[in-house]
Amino acid sequence: MNEKKLNQLFAAARNDVAPEMPGSFAAKVMRSLRVQPRAVSAELNSVWDHLNSLFPRIAFTAAAVIILCVATDWGLTAIGLPDVTDGSAQVASQYLFTPDNL
Amino acid sequence: MSDDAELLQRIRAGAVEEFAELVQRHQARVCAIVYRYERDAHRVEDLAQETFLKAWRALEQFDGRAPFEHWISRIAVRTALDHLRREKRHQNEVALPELGEDALDWLRSPDEKGDISSRDAAEVLHRAMQQLSPADRVIITMQELEDRSVKEIAATLGISGIAVRVRAVRARAKLKHALERLADL
Repeated sequence: MNEKKLNQLFAAARNDVAPEMPGSFAAKVMRSLRVQPRAVSAELNSVWDHLNSLFPRIAFTAAAVIILCVATDWGLTAIGLPDVTDGSAQVASQYLFTPDNL
Repeated sequence: MSDDAELLQRIRAGAVEEFAELVQRHQARVCAIVYRYERDAHRVEDLAQETFLKAWRALEQFDGRAPFEHWISRIAVRTALDHLRREKRHQNEVALPELGEDALDWLRSPDEKGDISSRDAAEVLHRAMQQLSPADRVIITMQELEDRSVKEIAATLGISGIAVRVRAVRARAKLKHALERLADL
């Protein structure tokens, strides 16, 4: 089978005409699709839907922030620096709740 | 007659019955595509119906950037591809129709001087392409019989343009080999 003969075969096959669909084809499709619910739009309706869709991301971010804070606190304590709670307690006692401000 | 975009808008707004109009407009094209992969008229009708049902279920995903015709054509090719994959699994159970004498004579003749009818040519190709993988059949059919671009074929099959080119060359070689074997039968 040479290239020319193969191309001749393709050229002839291109002209092959498909059979016509019966006149009732569209009606048949419509009968079938009445029992096939169309996919509901991905459109979100309420704030709760939005929150639901965002939940995995929010939960992951919250977990990441908690882990980061605990690790930082643990790290600061390990190297002898005042940890996050010490720092906030110091700030509160020295600047925020001094007798002059009360 | 309104265009597809307006019709789709009405269908989405709840005029479900207007989908029949959309079917009527595109059934010939869908049928022509599916017929390249399946010769049995009843199965062609079933596959065309499956194509429209898939389109119906996925109608919300059609964003209107490309014409509806292109979108439904792609669904038709994918439906045919799924059909070929199913058929491949049961290939031994499917009885292939015998080729006519004219087709065999043309196939066995050493040169390309004689003519072959379009029906015989399609039958011969269909028989030979049974030896190819479903994806290779889609590549050959889209490229050689439907004059589709590499980009279109790549988008339909979800592979790169380079992969389409490489597979097309290999598929063509396999097809030649299959045609030679068919001539020897």
